Amino acid sequence: MIRTVRLGSAAGLHMRAAAQVAAAAAEQRVPVTVRCGEHAPVPADSVLGLLTLGVAYGCELTLEASGAGAVDALARLADLLSRELDVARA
Amino acid sequence: MNIHPAGAASTRSFARPVLESRAIRVAESAPDRESAIHRCADVLEEIGAVHPAYREAMLDREWAMSTHLGEGIAIPHGLDASRLLVRRDSLAVLRFPDGVGWDGGRVFVCVAIAARGDGHLALLAALAAILLDPDRARALREATDPAEIVRMLNSVEDEP
Repeated sequence: MIRTVRLGSAAGLHMRAAAQVAAAAAEQRVPVTVRCGEHAPVPADSVLGLLTLGVAYGCELTLEASGAGAVDALARLADLLSRELDVARA
Repeated sequence: MNIHPAGAASTRSFARPVLESRAIRVAESAPDRESAIHRCADVLEEIGAVHPAYREAMLDREWAMSTHLGEGIAIPHGLDASRLLVRRDSLAVLRFPDGVGWDGGRVFVCVAIAARGDGHLALLAALAAILLDPDRARALREATDPAEIVRMLNSVEDEP
């Protein structure tokens, strides 16, 4: 199951934003991967993995998961990634 | 404060923060995390990269969430609103051979970041890739030659 989303954080997927996404991913019942451009998919629950993508504001991300709980997991992470994760801006 | 209005993503272009050898200190020591952040701010100020007020932003950012990325490497930096205090996108590298206690972990290298724009995303991506490779992470922790550290952190620009 695949879902795409555009990054909503104006400063890009920096360390704090990546940490929030990774924490949410770790709470899901299924593993989720994130892909951006030509870069190989990374596990969504890895802060370092997410950072290697170097995602800037507005970039399209492809989320993938399978099995029971995949729909909820993708919905949760897509929602988070589409939002402004920098509290100073929100 | 919204410095980068929505929709400007494709037109924004910021150079990666640059690391110069004069911004590298290989034999630092600090009794704690706060002192280490102060040393990072000292060096960024010395090289003219930031306004003195950037120091407070670095401390605020550190207390909001540890900047320890993993593998003994931390990336002290300011908050989004402190971008205006950056004069020149730059890095400083401070090596603490004895380590510094850091929110339950131990940090041996600080890569201090002063960045106004998206340039630091490429740097973070490169640094994260280094930390995911235990051999390269160890090489970064143990490097004592400033030229070697510059090469490790500046050459990664060409990687995907």
